[in-house]
Amino acid sequence: MNKTRLTKIIVLLILSFSLLLSSFNATAQLNVMTTTGMIADLTQNIGGEHIKATALMGSGVDPHLYKATQGDLRRLTRSDIILYNGLHLEGKMQDIFKKMARKMAVFPISSQIPKEHLIQHNIHADPHIWFDVALWQQAGQRVLAILKEQDPQHQDDYEQNAKHYFAQLESLHQWIISEIQTIPESRRILITAHDAFGYFGRAYDIKVMGLQGVSTASEFGLQDIKHLKDIIVKNQVRAVFVESSVSPRFIQALVKGVEAEGTPLSIGGELYSDAMGKSNSPTGNYIGMVKFNVRTIVDALK
Amino acid sequence: MTHKSSPLENSPLSVKYLSMRYHHKPVLTDVSFEIPEGKTIAIVGPNGAGKSTLLKGIMGLEPIMEGQVNFFGEPLANQRLATAYVPQREEIDWDFPINVLDVVLMGRHGHLKLWQRPSQIDHEIAEQALKDLQMWDFKDRQISELSGGQQQRVFLARALAQKANLYLMDEPFAGVDVATEKTIIELFKDLKSKGKTIICVHHDLNTVGEYFDWIIFINARLVAAGPVEEVLTKENLSKTYGGRLSLLNDLTEKMYRTQLNKAHDTD
Amino acid sequence: MDAFTLINPPSLWDNWLAFWSFEDMNVLWVLIGSILLGMSASVIGGFAFLRRRSLIGDALAHAALPGVMMAFLLFQTRDPLIMFLGAVTSSFIGFFLIDWLPKNTKIKADAALAITLSFFFALGLMLLSFIQGLEVSNKSGLDKILFGQAAAMTEEDIRLLAVVTIFILVTVSLFFQKFRLIAFNQTYAKTIGLAVNRYELLLALLIVMSVVVGLQLVGVVLMAAVLLTPIAAARYWSSQLSHILIIAASLGALSAIISTQISYLAPAMPTGPWMVVSLSMLFIISLIFAPKKGLLKRYLEHKALRQKVSEENILRTLYKLVERQSFQHHHFNQADILGLRSVPADCLQNTLKLLCKKSLITSDPKGFKLTEKGLEKAIQLTRRHRLWENYLNEQADLTPDQVHQQAERIEHILTDEQEAQLRLELTNSLLDPHGNPIPDASNHVSPQLKKVQEPLT
Repeated sequence: MNKTRLTKIIVLLILSFSLLLSSFNATAQLNVMTTTGMIADLTQNIGGEHIKATALMGSGVDPHLYKATQGDLRRLTRSDIILYNGLHLEGKMQDIFKKMARKMAVFPISSQIPKEHLIQHNIHADPHIWFDVALWQQAGQRVLAILKEQDPQHQDDYEQNAKHYFAQLESLHQWIISEIQTIPESRRILITAHDAFGYFGRAYDIKVMGLQGVSTASEFGLQDIKHLKDIIVKNQVRAVFVESSVSPRFIQALVKGVEAEGTPLSIGGELYSDAMGKSNSPTGNYIGMVKFNVRTIVDALK
Repeated sequence: MTHKSSPLENSPLSVKYLSMRYHHKPVLTDVSFEIPEGKTIAIVGPNGAGKSTLLKGIMGLEPIMEGQVNFFGEPLANQRLATAYVPQREEIDWDFPINVLDVVLMGRHGHLKLWQRPSQIDHEIAEQALKDLQMWDFKDRQISELSGGQQQRVFLARALAQKANLYLMDEPFAGVDVATEKTIIELFKDLKSKGKTIICVHHDLNTVGEYFDWIIFINARLVAAGPVEEVLTKENLSKTYGGRLSLLNDLTEKMYRTQLNKAHDTD
Repeated sequence: MDAFTLINPPSLWDNWLAFWSFEDMNVLWVLIGSILLGMSASVIGGFAFLRRRSLIGDALAHAALPGVMMAFLLFQTRDPLIMFLGAVTSSFIGFFLIDWLPKNTKIKADAALAITLSFFFALGLMLLSFIQGLEVSNKSGLDKILFGQAAAMTEEDIRLLAVVTIFILVTVSLFFQKFRLIAFNQTYAKTIGLAVNRYELLLALLIVMSVVVGLQLVGVVLMAAVLLTPIAAARYWSSQLSHILIIAASLGALSAIISTQISYLAPAMPTGPWMVVSLSMLFIISLIFAPKKGLLKRYLEHKALRQKVSEENILRTLYKLVERQSFQHHHFNQADILGLRSVPADCLQNTLKLLCKKSLITSDPKGFKLTEKGLEKAIQLTRRHRLWENYLNEQADLTPDQVHQQAERIEHILTDEQEAQLRLELTNSLLDPHGNPIPDASNHVSPQLKKVQEPLT
């Protein structure tokens, strides 16, 4: 009798302990804050069930001009790991991250990419690394290393997830190459609101041009419009693209101007450049967004 | 309150039980008078007695607490064209880019419809008004180039151009030269001979008896009103200039603050 | 990256020619748009300026911000007309608040303006921040309203701008006299039965409209400069209000042309800020070079006056010397002059040279001597000096010691009429308070003076 009672108690104890453990495991999810949705998506895919990645900047937000609110700062300080793009993408927040890095786990995911892989613009490198899928994979390697270091307990799971995801990225990369090849070479010109597609152009053999510079914070004037118009007319460009995170008015004005001067030009569609689509839509993840962009470009230029 | 029917049926200006205040401070309390036609009338009182305020209240430029003002037996809205007002010179930005003739033509705008511009006749009236005040030679001058006396004459010419029957002037003699003072006196005589009535805020006790036919003494309340020979007395002067009735002021202020006047049943 | 540029980028000169050929439609739109804005804003801003309510435009521009944001939140569109209506509505609420506060509370007008301005601006920024966090499409670029984005102007914007500008200019020219009357003397306008409140409302509507259409070009923050700088500059060029307004409108248009060109000729140059910069330049040019009221003109006038004063002083000193010698001796050297009047030596030499040039004096080894013309002038000055001394002594009860300093200044500016008037008002116009004779006003020279003249003729 006593024995059975004792075993019952022991069983109960073990049960409750394991329950406790499992519930501990559930709450032990790493809380990762990222700046852009692309980084959050990448991190979530590598981290899987062990982490919860959240992006500070939602759909359609321009990271170049984003100003952090007090609420943002609170969310950042409460997280376990902060990942940001770096290379001055988050123009106004870079300094905050540098300060936070003294006390917290804050990492720029672009830091391990060799310099020769980056496109240099004057003094700064082009930050839009996610448009070259291969380069993005390098950033993924960095994320993987950070997660393994911060949470060595689940190293193997991370490795497994990364392998799986990188394979997806690899096939995406190949798909883009073949898709872009379907555009006749003379028409492979991509004109957008700002210079976000530099890596895309380099990786997939398409000429790119933006109305504004690498950062949307830079001003542009009439000459910049004229310059683009000259290129459009000279190369017989048929379509230009607006970006979801940049005011469409500039490209609209450009198109109307070219049309009024007698050259047909249309807006090829809206590309997701510095931010992804709405969270539950097909463009709400990195792969979906890139695919959407490529399809839009191919459809308009083919 | 019972209103007695006025003895002067067609008085150019009758003021009944007029009270005015600034925030809660009483400025004028229960002022009543009626003036005869074709006379020059001075409103006299010490600084801060409410002379200009009285004129502004009469012209509807500042809100009236209580009381009633009638022009030729009617409210102001019906007699706008018969009434001309000359503001104090200090109230104006004399750097304003405008010339003398244009200022005088402003006097005609009360007669013009919304879209109308001054006609030939209006120009002739303005010309005559300027000539009456010996300012025709200055018609193209900028107002900023005028002396104090000339500025005053321009204002008088503007009022004259209104072709009114009743003129209300706020200190027309303040800070003017001898020549202008003479011109104004001549103008008064001329207007009087045409049966017009002139009311002036005046502060010079030495000349009041000489320039005016009638005096209204005020000091926050009406002290006396009547022909010069009757009211220009030592007693009235000392009443007017002998300090305020502080209790009256204090209690009236308290009344306004408690809004007692509104709480009272109308009887 | 396969970034590419044109093989032969056009030269500055080519660009400039291209600008004036009006072939580039974007440039044409921006040019027309900014000219229209420059004209309408400076005309309507003129009335705000003259009514000493200069900052109202600034406040209304800031007050437009939350309206634009609310319109976007409610309708989720960037249609120019909807944005315009939203901005007008919220600007008007701001206007009524600015008007209502000082009338019904103890807050003064300037404080009411500041409170409204910052409250609405903060509200607008708050909404902007809120929209930034929302998952809605089309929201990007809303913040461009802060500083404007002229280069993105299209035909539709021009249409709205043209309608607003024509409305403003027609209304102002229709009611010009009434607006001027109210701006000059509001209380008087009330007494002649003008519906002042209605005109004020109309003026406010015009300002609000012009501010709101200006937001796309120059933005909330710089709008006030476009409203006020042209009129401030134009005031230096004329004294007639209608001319001033035309000049202000021209300056507004000129600044538009300058700024559009700069934006076209140099890369990354936004039109709106350049419009404000070129307006400020035009203001500085007006301030310095305006023909009647400019600083340069005033400086030159001042210099000329100083020259005139020092010349006249020497003439009068020479006359005094002649007088002291009882008109017997006519030649004096520099030491004699310095004995009566302390002047820096170099200044004295310059002045004497100039007087010789004007043949008011002659110079020979015996010394300096007044010519006939110089004597006449010196007599006139002395006469005026002494008449004024007498006037002060007689009419202002100043002692003979006090009057001299005053007369030293007045003698240079008295006119013939004033001199005649002085003579009329004086009982004694023969001797000055110091006992010196006052030389005759007419050209009849007194017997004593005859003696001086004889050797001259």
